[in-house]
Amino acid sequence: MKDNETYNIMFCGVGGQGLMLLSAILGKAAVDAGLEVRTGEQHGLSQRQGSIYVHFRIGKPLSPLIPYGRADMVIAMEASEVLRYIEYLKEDGVVIMSNRIMPPVSETEQIALDKQKQTKYITVEQIIERIREVTYRIVTLDSLELAIEAGNPRTENSVLIGATVACEDFPILAEDVRKALLGLVPKKTAEANSKAFDLGMEASTDCLGTS
Amino acid sequence: MASDSMFSLRNGGRNAGSCCLIADDPYAHSSQSEQDGRYFGEAAYVPMIEPSTAQEAFDMVKWAFEVSEKHRTLVIMRTTTRVNHQRGMVSLGNLNRTPFKRKRWADVKGQYFTVGAIARRLKAELLEKTQAIRDEFEDTDFNFVEEGDGDLGVLTGGVCYLHTKEAMQNLGINIPVFKLGTIYPLPEEKIANFLKSLKTLIVVEELTPYLETRITAIAKEVNSSLRIIGKKSGHFPEMLEYNVPIVETAIADVLSTVPSTDYGAILERAARLKEILPERPPIFCPGCPHRGTLWAFRQALQQLRIRNEIVFNNDIGCYSMAFLPPNEFSDSMLAMGASVGISAGMEMALEDRVIAMVGDSTLYHAALPGIVNLIHHNSNVTLFVLDNSVTAMTGQQFNPNSPFNAGGQPARKINMEKMFEALGAEKIVVIDPYETRDCIGPIKEAIQSDGFSVIISRRDCALYGDRQKKKRGERIIPSENDKETCREIFACVREFYCPAIIVDESDHKMLIQQDLCDGCLECRQVCPVDAPRSTEVER
Ligand SMILES: Cc1ncc(C[n+]2csc(CCOP(=O)(O)OP(=O)(O)O)c2C)c(N)n1
Repeated sequence: MKDNETYNIMFCGVGGQGLMLLSAILGKAAVDAGLEVRTGEQHGLSQRQGSIYVHFRIGKPLSPLIPYGRADMVIAMEASEVLRYIEYLKEDGVVIMSNRIMPPVSETEQIALDKQKQTKYITVEQIIERIREVTYRIVTLDSLELAIEAGNPRTENSVLIGATVACEDFPILAEDVRKALLGLVPKKTAEANSKAFDLGMEASTDCLGTS
Repeated sequence: MASDSMFSLRNGGRNAGSCCLIADDPYAHSSQSEQDGRYFGEAAYVPMIEPSTAQEAFDMVKWAFEVSEKHRTLVIMRTTTRVNHQRGMVSLGNLNRTPFKRKRWADVKGQYFTVGAIARRLKAELLEKTQAIRDEFEDTDFNFVEEGDGDLGVLTGGVCYLHTKEAMQNLGINIPVFKLGTIYPLPEEKIANFLKSLKTLIVVEELTPYLETRITAIAKEVNSSLRIIGKKSGHFPEMLEYNVPIVETAIADVLSTVPSTDYGAILERAARLKEILPERPPIFCPGCPHRGTLWAFRQALQQLRIRNEIVFNNDIGCYSMAFLPPNEFSDSMLAMGASVGISAGMEMALEDRVIAMVGDSTLYHAALPGIVNLIHHNSNVTLFVLDNSVTAMTGQQFNPNSPFNAGGQPARKINMEKMFEALGAEKIVVIDPYETRDCIGPIKEAIQSDGFSVIISRRDCALYGDRQKKKRGERIIPSENDKETCREIFACVREFYCPAIIVDESDHKMLIQQDLCDGCLECRQVCPVDAPRSTEVER
């Protein structure tokens, strides 16, 4: 990473998914790697099931908020939330997203009340089609499935983090991030988290292709 | 609310430093109104300072205590959302703590009785003090100038300083910047010197033109032809919060150039891409007891056919969300404890039945005087108290309804029923919102009874309850929908709005997302055919 550069990540998801832990892990990794970090977060009204985000900036950050069109990466724990913050993503930036969709209740209501059964939930395909107007570098992960494969469904965070470090322009070394991760998760889940990290990394490398 | 005490406390700092932190919320992310707290410094002659970053906040607090002790004054640190909810690296340096020691009152006695002659003497002292602080603020490094090229400059502070620096970087310009760290008293001489060398000044500040107005007055003395760009010139809005694009666009406009990025085009495209996206408003958590209480309340109103003959005064807490679907209640929601005071007035002026709602924290913090007043006047008001054991919305803190104090130490839990009994409430009923159907009858009775009635709805906040369960080694057992029984009535969806509930597109039946479900089974109570049931499988 060059001296006066800033690497910007927009984290997003749904309240209760553990987004704050996700940003804390990458924050620790950045600090341990000697990089400066500044974040802008949202708390309060979005306790559970509301839309939440963290502006995450490493390097020489000034404002706590990423300007529109300047996020190098969007990491989403819920697929539809990528679209909600799409104005932040730069052209050809990287999107790392879970394929999980958590439908808001208002959407469920429309579907339930449609006697003709025609109304459908928004799909990951529809979302990806729209993201493609901004970038083709999209990693979609079945993060829950991979977490279960790693041995603990609560390690979805680590899957996403593994996927993040596999991205070639991500400025922190994979092993530094793994160390930070293992330093912040409960000791007895270390093995599952490390495995989840690897699975995420593999899946992401497959999507982005190595170069 | 706190300002009356503050005006007297300004003489504080006699025996130890005192610093008060205030937070403004431009954009009203989680507030009832956008407020600009900067005026309090000047109004009360209390020095006010403002940081931009986490590091500066840390350094300023240390400095605030020095100023407070030296000048025997309260010091206010003013922040905004984007400073408070910012994370960054902070180097702590040396932290010297003075060990806590009790003192004798006679040794530390100050003047805490301020009235008449004393108040006048203190005011004179205060003016002297303020002058000394003003001199000190002229010299502090928290007010500084960053040199630059040309006769266009910027004056700014707080998070706007960071937005400005990034905007300048994006535009590739290096213009002089005055970074203000003291909002009151302003370093007027330092500012005057800065203004002398400029033809144009851009003032970047969120909310009201607090600085712009004061800078204009200084400029009139030292550089009357200075062109000031800010809110009055139409370059910056007087509401919402700022970001880099807003500041960059304004500076570019003054320079007759264009921003580094076509932010407008990005926003337009984003708006188009988002058209298919459903909104995701905040909602009660799975297992939240408030959901059941409000459902039962709605049923009671429906059965009594008085939905349009009530006024519902809401208060501050998770239950504020009763204004959202499917409840869409809430005729007022103004300030902590306001529901009961407003109800007292409304009960005298309206024909409708008046109902108020408070949480346990709001009850003890701010509603008691209003309740005493209601009972004293024999008001026909029904009060819901949502007893969920903690102050849920702000993060499950303890309150007088908990057996622990704010520091987590054992404390005495107030006996709510006894308290209402002693106050003379006509009717006190306790309901369990998880036995949702059984709540309807008692609610109907309470609403119909004369005098002041209280409905205490008691059940732990789901998040807090889950944490307690985990501590005790108990598991959460999610529920499932028995699809054989389900008749697609969807009361669970229409009337209940639990985020764990979705529709299974394969058979159009209700489906409970296992990882979100809290196993409260309130939805079974709402279902006319009892379709949801426990899986009895541990999660
Ligand atoms: C006027 C005002 N004061 C304070 C707050 C901060 N605040 C939000 S919720 C809350 C207390 C909520 O506690 P309680 O009444 O027990 O309700 P619960 O969230 O537990 O349902 C406070 C102090 C606010 N939002 N608005």
